[in-house]
Amino acid sequence: MDYLIFSFSLMLVYIGLAQLLHVQFGLLGIPNFGVVGFWGLGLYGTGVLYVSYDVPLVPAIIVASLIVAVVSYVLASMVLQRSGQAILAATLAFAAMVATLVVTEKQLTNGVQGLGTIGFPFGDLASRNVVYFGVLLAVVVALIWVSAKLRDSRMGRMMIAIRDNEELAASLGKDTAGTKRTVFVVTCALMGLLGGLTAPLHQFLVPYHLAPSLTFAVWIALVLGGKSHNLGAMIGVFATFGLFDILIETYAPVPAEQAIMLPNFKLFCYGVLLVMIIMFRPAGMLGEDRPRHRARADAAPANDTAVKEG
Amino acid sequence: MFDVQSLRSGYGEMSVLKDLTFSVSDEIFAVLGANGAGKTTLLKTLARLLPLQAGSLSLNGADVSRSPAYAMPDAGVAYVPQEENVFPDLSVQENLSIGGRTGHRTKAEKIEEVFALFPRLKERRGQAAGSLSGGEGQMLAVGRALMQDPKVLLLDEPSAGLSPLFVDALFSSIAETRKERGLTIVLAEQNAVKTLEIADRVMVLSLGEMHLLRPRSELQMSDITAAYHI
Repeated sequence: MDYLIFSFSLMLVYIGLAQLLHVQFGLLGIPNFGVVGFWGLGLYGTGVLYVSYDVPLVPAIIVASLIVAVVSYVLASMVLQRSGQAILAATLAFAAMVATLVVTEKQLTNGVQGLGTIGFPFGDLASRNVVYFGVLLAVVVALIWVSAKLRDSRMGRMMIAIRDNEELAASLGKDTAGTKRTVFVVTCALMGLLGGLTAPLHQFLVPYHLAPSLTFAVWIALVLGGKSHNLGAMIGVFATFGLFDILIETYAPVPAEQAIMLPNFKLFCYGVLLVMIIMFRPAGMLGEDRPRHRARADAAPANDTAVKEG
Repeated sequence: MFDVQSLRSGYGEMSVLKDLTFSVSDEIFAVLGANGAGKTTLLKTLARLLPLQAGSLSLNGADVSRSPAYAMPDAGVAYVPQEENVFPDLSVQENLSIGGRTGHRTKAEKIEEVFALFPRLKERRGQAAGSLSGGEGQMLAVGRALMQDPKVLLLDEPSAGLSPLFVDALFSSIAETRKERGLTIVLAEQNAVKTLEIADRVMVLSLGEMHLLRPRSELQMSDITAAYHI
């Protein structure tokens, strides 16, 4: 039972990360390939503050998230106005740097030997892992709600405009660089927050947690579900992490000698799913985001017949 | 309005415009030239979407050489690009609501004004802008620019890719808009015949350099065609 709660808690973290990536890439067009770096900085930042400096868990998570915000601000100032390929390479390199620093800065992180132990909050409560799952659920539901509201807001329209044609948006008086930087910093800080919240789940932090596979899993989930929909990001996590890491790995009646193959089989299935989606449904399971749905909110009450026609 | 001194501009290290000096006052100022002459580069530079490599640019006496592009609408400059002039994933109405400073009228009022000017857009208000025809896209881009209540309108080849019938209507509406709103218009075009019907002054660009700059009354069509053959 504890393992299931752990798995579902981790799935919530993935859903939260996919939501934030949906905002960064789906709405604003920033290809962040360093998700694990921002999440990992929050994870290890929290761990170091909690274990080495005896900072209580909640302040440690907040401080770690602020550190991620500062670092992402510096990164944003350097690369966000460059091409998509440059952003992709820079964020990927950033994640690699974080993973390397975790191994080399042994005085802070204890290197490959690992850093722990980070316990759940809520003291001696017997079912504190269940309560913690509730906390994570509340955070992730809040993220989903905000990202759903964001898309139909003035800010969301501006983000889509910047994604579609940044030069045109700038010529209409939009501070495109400032908007991209602000959204990137806030969403990266929230990735750091999710990293900090993951620390008690893992309890003992090792560099393996910062493997690039987390970034790829979140990207695959987003592409499968549909980058333009915030629910697409969630469906993608269910179809990947939920289906394979929880359902198949936990319940599939696989003989022990074949069970060792499951992680590789999972990656194979991810690859097949991705190719199928790209070939037959490039906009993801939920398809394109139709503007007419959004237009209803904008239509002037006096005459909205054209919206229905559109 | 615009005062341009020894302007050099282009993309990265490459200069497209070389040493341009001219001014634009209360008029329809046409910029003619063949493909690659530098018309789009000039309009993008005036809209501050491209940095100046040398020279200076001032608007109503204020130096805007280093102003960011997003500050230009507040300075009264609206730009309508030739291509990719709408946000394809947003609806027509959302495209309009992205543009336009509110001023003394509400955004909804301004959108209704655009719909009155281009009724076709009203019919398509909920439709994705990416699915509009070339002419409808052009209407949307012009309407959105007018919502900004500009003092200077930069139009980059508005007739490109439009049917001859629509081109006639377009040039009439440009002249009409100038008359009604007292707008200064900088019009980059390839269609010299139609442009000469409405322009007050004409600058002909050739390979990024000014070939000539004259009032329309002092201009012969042969002067223009000569520039196209350089």
